[in-house]
Amino acid sequence: MDQAQSKPVFSLPDWRALRNDFPVLTNSQPALHYLDSAASSQKPQAVIDAISHCYSHNYGPVHRGLYALAEVASEAYEAARQTIANFVNAENTNEIVFTRSATEAINLVAHGWAGQHLKPGEDIWVSQMEHHANFLPWQRVCQTLGTRLRVIPLDEDGQLDFETAEGIFGANTGLIAITQVSNVLGTINPIEQIVRRANRQSIPVLVDAAQAVGHMAVDVQALNCDFLVASAHKMCGPGGIGFLYGKQERLAETDPLLLGGGMVDEVDIDQSSWAEIPARFEAGSPNLSGAVGFAAAINYLQDIGMGAIEQRVQQLTSLAYQTLSEIDGLALYGSPESTSHSGILSFNVDDIHPHDVAHIAAEHGVAIRAGHHCCQPLMQRLGVSSTARASFSFYNNEQDIAALAKAILDAKQILGNR
Amino acid sequence: MSNQSVYKEVLLDHFHNPRNKGELDGMAMIKRGSNPRCGDEIEVGVNCNDEILTSVRFRGRGCSVCLASASIMTESTAGLERQQAQQLTQQVQHWFEDKNSDPPDDDALAALSSLRQHSARKKCVLLAWVALGEVLDCPG
Repeated sequence: MDQAQSKPVFSLPDWRALRNDFPVLTNSQPALHYLDSAASSQKPQAVIDAISHCYSHNYGPVHRGLYALAEVASEAYEAARQTIANFVNAENTNEIVFTRSATEAINLVAHGWAGQHLKPGEDIWVSQMEHHANFLPWQRVCQTLGTRLRVIPLDEDGQLDFETAEGIFGANTGLIAITQVSNVLGTINPIEQIVRRANRQSIPVLVDAAQAVGHMAVDVQALNCDFLVASAHKMCGPGGIGFLYGKQERLAETDPLLLGGGMVDEVDIDQSSWAEIPARFEAGSPNLSGAVGFAAAINYLQDIGMGAIEQRVQQLTSLAYQTLSEIDGLALYGSPESTSHSGILSFNVDDIHPHDVAHIAAEHGVAIRAGHHCCQPLMQRLGVSSTARASFSFYNNEQDIAALAKAILDAKQILGNR
Repeated sequence: MSNQSVYKEVLLDHFHNPRNKGELDGMAMIKRGSNPRCGDEIEVGVNCNDEILTSVRFRGRGCSVCLASASIMTESTAGLERQQAQQLTQQVQHWFEDKNSDPPDDDALAALSSLRQHSARKKCVLLAWVALGEVLDCPG
């Protein structure tokens, strides 16, 4: 055996077998070509089983009971928090706050941190590619607080154009809230660079990582961001649960958004004090099955390997890009040929309304999204009211892409100019 | 050819060759309907003479379903008395909102029936009808 052969071989996952982990894909008749994972991903059997097992064996109130089942439930809940902390490489487990969604996590920071710490006249910067979830909370903060909402423009390729974002890293900026991956264009933003430049002026940065966590390795310490949010359902986990990562010192200066059970230290008639972090941000009965399912999803993804997942999605996206580029009259948005691009392709075909494209695709068993994707400011920039969007996961395959291309050609034939 | 594919042909014909579509100059009453979710925007204009709808026209942009439905609507309502047209718009809305409801008394609308199973397209079908309903509800 020579030197080269004795090296450990990086074994690629069996993608065909992995597709069979997803009951929705194997149960669907006729075949389902699910290309809407950016909206919500499908769930592997491992996650479904973990949730079922939780309800069948370990279900009890979290942090509220003294009997064995309640203790098991509490431990499972906190173990899930630990799993998430490890997954995004948080320094401390208590920097992870469970929320209902990434949306709720951003609202928590907008209300509980920005609302308390920013001053009238200061700037909050977002980008033109933000999801409404990372746009509207800041718009409201500005309306109530008198801060100014500033928008980083996009260049022709759909990349952030810092040249024209005058003053973004200046003394008047109170916060930068930016998406890591655009849910429409698929653009991956240079978060590390943004944070590095922001840090020189001690400007806090919130990262909307809803399309990033679970799709690529995300390391909050390497990013060095102050806040980061994501949700489980876009990364093979259950709906109804997400998280906020916040640096300890930032969470310490954040007020809770929701008040109620489980988040208090002492409650008097006149005033109350809050529990320690992160419990103070988790009012109400915790979502145990959600947390357990979330942790199971992370374990499932890690078993495959984040590097392998990212590579697989890039290959599929690149194939889809080539395939769709050959279709006459098809306009692709952003710069999908770029290396800093995730598994999302937005497009329009001729003058056909995207809803019609999606409808005809559905008749071919192809599930794509059509609309403004909760990104109306971006649609305005692109000069369209809506787009069709195909998004790819590692469980997709070449047949899914072929089916999409066939559906688009069919749409052209039925609805194109005659 | 099944009923479904005949209906599809009818809808496509109205989409490719919309009736009574264009500028609304000279229309006495105009109402706008929009669906911000998909960016559809329609304006419906009506002229009346002695409580009879002498002309129903529309302009705007939308998906094939939205435009075909608007086109069919203009043909089905022109010539009706205002009260009959009001009744028909209500019937169509009810037809799409209640799965167990009877079809409206107008065979020309049968082509729309194939869309009732697609709840996501309800708003597309009804956009023009709702705008027409608003026109007809206006006094005068």
